[in-house]
Amino acid sequence: MTYLTLAKPVLGTTWRYRLERYANRILLYLAVGLFLFVVLLPCYWIFISSFTPKYQMFSIPPRWVPSELTLENYVNLANNIPFFRYYLNSLILAFGSSLLSVSLAFLAAYALARIRFRGSNLIFLVFIVSIAIPQIGTLVPLFELYKLVGLINSREGIILLMSSLILPFTVWTLVSFIKQLPEEVEEAARIDGANLLQLLVQVVVPVVRPAIGTMIIINFIIAWNELLYPLVFATSTATKTLSVGLVELAVDPSMGAGRPWDLMSALSVSMIIPVLLVVLFFQRLIVSGLTKGALK
Amino acid sequence: MAVHTTSTAIGSGNPLAHYRRPRRSRLARNRYLAAFLLLSPALLLRLFTSVYPFFQTFYFAFSNYNPSFPPLKFTGTANFVRMWKDLAVSSSVTFTVMFVLFSTLLQLFFGILVALLLNSSFRARSLVRAVNLIPWAIPMVVAAMGFRWMFDSEYGLISDLIRSLTGLDIPWLTTSWGAKAAVIMVNVWKSTPFLALVFLAALQGLPADLLEAARVDGASRVQAFFKITLPLILSQVVTIGLFMVVWQLAAFDLIYTMTGGGPGYATSVLAYNIYQAAFGGLNFGYASAISLVLFVLVFIMAGLGLMLFRRSEVSY
Repeated sequence: MTYLTLAKPVLGTTWRYRLERYANRILLYLAVGLFLFVVLLPCYWIFISSFTPKYQMFSIPPRWVPSELTLENYVNLANNIPFFRYYLNSLILAFGSSLLSVSLAFLAAYALARIRFRGSNLIFLVFIVSIAIPQIGTLVPLFELYKLVGLINSREGIILLMSSLILPFTVWTLVSFIKQLPEEVEEAARIDGANLLQLLVQVVVPVVRPAIGTMIIINFIIAWNELLYPLVFATSTATKTLSVGLVELAVDPSMGAGRPWDLMSALSVSMIIPVLLVVLFFQRLIVSGLTKGALK
Repeated sequence: MAVHTTSTAIGSGNPLAHYRRPRRSRLARNRYLAAFLLLSPALLLRLFTSVYPFFQTFYFAFSNYNPSFPPLKFTGTANFVRMWKDLAVSSSVTFTVMFVLFSTLLQLFFGILVALLLNSSFRARSLVRAVNLIPWAIPMVVAAMGFRWMFDSEYGLISDLIRSLTGLDIPWLTTSWGAKAAVIMVNVWKSTPFLALVFLAALQGLPADLLEAARVDGASRVQAFFKITLPLILSQVVTIGLFMVVWQLAAFDLIYTMTGGGPGYATSVLAYNIYQAAFGGLNFGYASAISLVLFVLVFIMAGLGLMLFRRSEVSY
């Protein structure tokens, strides 16, 4: 596709070449259109459904565009579940896990990227390999452990779990970020006699701030979307998140046989919107963060 | 750690410092202490929430532990004998492997395709690249719910679309094969963009003159892709593929929210079995035994993947 422009001088500008180029353009735009359609269709459907009056929601065949729009589903949602409580919980858990995981990962990543010591490769490997331990397979012992120390249904407990979950990936990414930075400034500070804390806070943090910001954003999204830990460890309104609320709506027996799509779509949209805003604002950072570790 | 010297602002250091023998700070001498201090919070957290529970699972797996009927009694291999006869588990093992392999292959295929698309130049490309992030960013719970509804044979948008295009009525969620296909499709929809993102970055890192040279030599676009581009990004493709296999073996959210393992056990996966045994039936011992099966599966797949990884590192 980009090759075409490169090939131009060789092929010349005969009509045949022009025709081929024209056809290629059309095919390219068709492909882009198809891609957008496939990616956006579910989003469109959830979004438009949340504004569709309930009586129009279950029509056969489905209406692609409702004849009127309403906010009724959102009002019903707030009346049926502790929506704002869940929202607040989701925010606290996501921010908490994101900040904690990035702080711990930053310290560890700095040691792995900069300090030469025996076993550093091994520890890095342990972090990476521990990604493979399935979250679901460790739930039972974790539940027992949490019962023992009284952390079930506590925000702090869930934040610890979610931070741990995203920690290895964060360490991995931050190590590649830090390794790319020039070492001279730190060297100079060290020679000047700065201690570890001074070095980290005054020298390293200002330089890696973009990387730290990136990981805070990415980890926020991952933690915001997390289901399993809150589902198991958040057992009351005080700690339940939006993802748990959504799942509960789907299986709530008091809602009758059908699933309450009106409420579920409204909840889904409320849950997607912060994430979409973050993606739109920080697209570049997110892409750099997600591809950093994988490309090293 | 104590402050030894009043460290001046960085950058405005004493110009004579260069000529003196550098004073070695305690940090330089105690690299190990520094590394230990920096690493221990992260390592401790992983130890308590991941490594310790991992080994604890082996202990529970040979017991009949149920938190509502203590005490725990060791029952030897009873859980495994029971699992052997448990239809839910055996069909889950099959579908877990099928789910992971089909998902990963399709994700790799479409991931490369989308990356090539996003790498070509067209109008509003950066906007389309932003759109590509959406499936990765939205919660799996939301995607699973939305798709469940769209696959509904009466009210569903996808069913309606297929009906009006081909006249076919596909019973997505009510038949075994339909539900299996639907679940895999949603999984591919959700994760392909992430792979595309990584492959796109890999493509952007390729030296442009290689492809240029190939085109000048008269290679077709397809030839250029298979002979040059693909070999150059192969190690990334294999790495990500391996990562996806291991990661998706434990997939839970999608199955739990979209099908609940149904119809029957058609789309049940091991992660779903574990959850049901543990928090549906409070059968902690049995759930741990199934977890061991999952660990073994992860181990085998990761081992096979690593072997493949070694292979792909041959020079091109």
